[in-house]
Amino acid sequence: MGLSLLASRALRLSRIPSRATQIFLRPIVSTRDLNTPEPATSAAPPPPPPPHRHPVGGARVHFPTPDDAIEVFVDGFAVKIPKGFTVLQACEVAGVDIPRFCYHDRLSIAGNCRMCLVEVEKSPKPVASCAMPALPGMKIKTDTPIAKKAREGVMEFLLMNHPLDCPICDQGGECDLQDQSMAFGSDRGRFTEMKRSVVDKNLGPLVKTVMTRCIQCTRCVRFASEIAGVQDLGMLGRGSGEEIGTYVEKLMTSELSGNVIDICPVGALTSKPFAFKARNWELKGTETIDVTDAVGSNIRIDSRGPEVMRVLPRLNEDINEEWISDKTRFFYDGLKRQRLNDPMIRGPDGRFKTVSWRDALAIVAEVVNQVKPEEIVGVAGKLSDAESMIVLKDFLNKMGSNNIWCEGNGPNPNADLRSGYIMNTSISGLEQADAFLLVGTQPRVEAAMVNARIRKTVRATHAKVGYIGPPTDFNYDHQNLGTSPQTLVEIAEGRHPFSATLANAKNPVIILGAGIFERMDKDAIFTVVNAIAKKHNVVRPDWNGLNTLLINAAQAAALDLGLVPESDRSIESAKFIYLMGADDVSLEKLPNDAFVVYQGHHGDRSVYRANVILPASAFTEKEGTYANTEGCAQTTLPAVPIVGDARDDWKIIRALSEVAGIQLPYDSLGGIRSRIRTVAPNLLEIDERVPATFSNSLRPESSQKIKPEPFGVTVENFYMTDAITRASKIMAQCSALLKK
Amino acid sequence: MAQVAQVLKQFRVQPNSTSLEEARKRTFEFFKLACRSIPSIMEIYTLEDVVHPSQLRASVLAEIRKNAHITNPKVIDLLLFKAMEELKNVVDHSKQRHHIIGQYVVGRQGLEDLAPTDPGTSDYLKKFYNSNYF
Amino acid sequence: MGSVVRNALNSIKEKGITNFFRELRQQGYLNALLDGNLMQTKIHNIGATLVGVDKFGNKYYENLKVQYGRHRWVEYASKTRYNASQVPPEWHGWLHFITDRTGDELLRLKPSRYGAEHRENLTGQGDEYIYHSKGHALNSGQRDWTRYESWQPTKP
Repeated sequence: MGLSLLASRALRLSRIPSRATQIFLRPIVSTRDLNTPEPATSAAPPPPPPPHRHPVGGARVHFPTPDDAIEVFVDGFAVKIPKGFTVLQACEVAGVDIPRFCYHDRLSIAGNCRMCLVEVEKSPKPVASCAMPALPGMKIKTDTPIAKKAREGVMEFLLMNHPLDCPICDQGGECDLQDQSMAFGSDRGRFTEMKRSVVDKNLGPLVKTVMTRCIQCTRCVRFASEIAGVQDLGMLGRGSGEEIGTYVEKLMTSELSGNVIDICPVGALTSKPFAFKARNWELKGTETIDVTDAVGSNIRIDSRGPEVMRVLPRLNEDINEEWISDKTRFFYDGLKRQRLNDPMIRGPDGRFKTVSWRDALAIVAEVVNQVKPEEIVGVAGKLSDAESMIVLKDFLNKMGSNNIWCEGNGPNPNADLRSGYIMNTSISGLEQADAFLLVGTQPRVEAAMVNARIRKTVRATHAKVGYIGPPTDFNYDHQNLGTSPQTLVEIAEGRHPFSATLANAKNPVIILGAGIFERMDKDAIFTVVNAIAKKHNVVRPDWNGLNTLLINAAQAAALDLGLVPESDRSIESAKFIYLMGADDVSLEKLPNDAFVVYQGHHGDRSVYRANVILPASAFTEKEGTYANTEGCAQTTLPAVPIVGDARDDWKIIRALSEVAGIQLPYDSLGGIRSRIRTVAPNLLEIDERVPATFSNSLRPESSQKIKPEPFGVTVENFYMTDAITRASKIMAQCSALLKK
Repeated sequence: MAQVAQVLKQFRVQPNSTSLEEARKRTFEFFKLACRSIPSIMEIYTLEDVVHPSQLRASVLAEIRKNAHITNPKVIDLLLFKAMEELKNVVDHSKQRHHIIGQYVVGRQGLEDLAPTDPGTSDYLKKFYNSNYF
Repeated sequence: MGSVVRNALNSIKEKGITNFFRELRQQGYLNALLDGNLMQTKIHNIGATLVGVDKFGNKYYENLKVQYGRHRWVEYASKTRYNASQVPPEWHGWLHFITDRTGDELLRLKPSRYGAEHRENLTGQGDEYIYHSKGHALNSGQRDWTRYESWQPTKP
């Protein structure tokens, strides 16, 4: 040991205070160099200009009025932001990601987690950047000792009462608290007292609560009251007794309740069906879309091996923002139950027996060649993709029949005017509306994401909502104008007080429910609605507010492809009926000697009438194009392999056509798509909404008389609408517990 | 069976054949030995339901015929040694059933397609019957 | 010995000759003719006190007049195929002079929530009694690795 080293040791020893003083001087921060942080002064020599950073997540800044741009400095880097941005948003534009728990883009600002503290020059203490509006010339510092110390302190307080159960926590691996404590927290704790514990709440069959893990960010409370529109969740108590809960013991009755799982930054709210099933790092994500309703929410299917483990939303500002409905999120266990896995033939004794594809197709081909062309009928199911629908249509047309339709489109659909069956305003366009007229539609159960958009608009602009139809549940203010089409006539003639609201509105929106398609007087209703639209200037060059809200994923594409039956009574004289996943079509009028082929993935309703069952793939197992209610074509991607001996829908019909002796001219998806190009080119514009070319006002006026019977309820049970959701146990639980 | 095992037990490296004639004689001896061991092989590997003894004989013969062009007695001795080694492995149950089936029953030509082949079907339909993924 | 014969004659009188013989067989007296162990137990039983009967039907006797250390014994329920593993744990202690509490008394201390049922050792009794591990082909509880449930046409 050298002398100098010894000397320095002695010096150091002498500087260490005695034990008594050490107690008083116990450092607040365990990281040594943060013990005495100095505020960063402007007098310090200017550091070299930082490299240009890109906004977080590739965000683009939209300046409503260019004059309102202000300039702030983030870590010495000047950035231009619009007036009204918060400090946190300014930092994001500058490419600095500020840690946060309570702040969420789509929720109101709470500012109670304090994780987003940054240093602002000339400010006496660190400021919560999420709640602080950015002022011109503000000098924000995100990387200084004060900011670091503030974060470390906040993190220590948050972890004080947070249980150390990450190994058994379902959020583990995708937990904000876990990540941020690794990034900003201290490597040791000083907490020696007891942690508090909170009683778990029962929020229903979907959301599991472990309330001890809660850090009181109140994101879920704000989500429930702002987005979902239910006042079920709230904050109880103060101080260390503070907890999130339903005020009285009740379930969370919202069709969007699953989203609190996503926004919860810790593992306090997790998915109940997913609990302890898988870890997020062993899952394979497949970006696809949802087909359980006509919205086409963008989802990510997380799968492990051949199983779909969970469904998460994907960001799409035009369709579902970042939310999905509970049906979308939790139907997935239906994909594992009641699956058809082998071709089957009903024998003469009425029992099914498993056969090979060769035999099954041979029998179908034999029968289809024996019946007369006009006795052949095809029905596409509500989950069919555009490719298989065009193949089915081509197959039946080659057989000489034109009796093909998609269920849900009614007996006599009008496919001539695209504007007559899609949502012309577009889902994101609804935000500009200031008056809504909902005709025979209950958007909350028919299309929960569209309903969330309407609610957002109503909350933001206090738009008036008028509703014609049976009494139903809305989660925003509305006026029930009546229950029958007579009310529409009154509005058209200006006799109804709501017509004044429509007349005063700048951007009025009329939404017709798809249930109208099933009515006999639908043409008359469309005529009246057209009259209202004309009178109140609903359809203008810059604004198209006349919408139809579809309920099934296949509907829009089916009408685009022209799946319109020749006669609406074809089912009564059918001798051969081809059901492509059609389970909601009424087979009561079908003659007893008719030969029924059911091609689908679930043994649901129509299977029991089938003579031949051809197992097909579900939407999670195939690539297919779907057009949503606003006419935006999107594709699904296969996330899991097919089950059993099933085949893709279009492949089955293509093979059948060859066995039947009328080979279809394509044998790949690309070939089918070039066929679609000749029929409906808009279905090939993937992820882009193609607006309708012709306005609905071109529709010829109908001489039909309006019938006085009131509008019905189209979707009886939100949770069980198709073959997959009807097979799901979770959906059955939900409908038993939450259906009012 | 016991006799075959006895012969195989005495199996050792013999002095080289002096002439082609001697090598030829040894080859016939080996073939006889192999033929004699076929019944016990059938029993050991339970091959009754997959193959007839004559087929096995034919496949042994085919293996020998494959080298019919070789005239160097030293090479023939080497090949005979390897053949004897193989036979010993087979008789000693050092192999498993699928080895025998793969090498001597199915042989080099591979399994013939037992599925019905309808000549009219297209490539697409054949692939469709086979699997969903093509 | 005279009392035994008298008792036998009395019970013949009470139950009739057929029932008497049936009971004789059930009690294992016929097996005892060929099975020395059982015969010795039966002879021991004369004059001994029946302390208890466990749930399997094994009878536990005590006779304090005989030599110490041989004064407790069991008569197994099965007269043909008996072995020591048929004694349940609660009686084991009494039988082996570990405790003076009888099995019935000890049974009251047994927690109701857990504790596996006593099973005799069935080693050598046949393939169906042999333990086969989880993946074994003979384990009846085969795990189903199919990740989906197929539709069953027979179900309504």
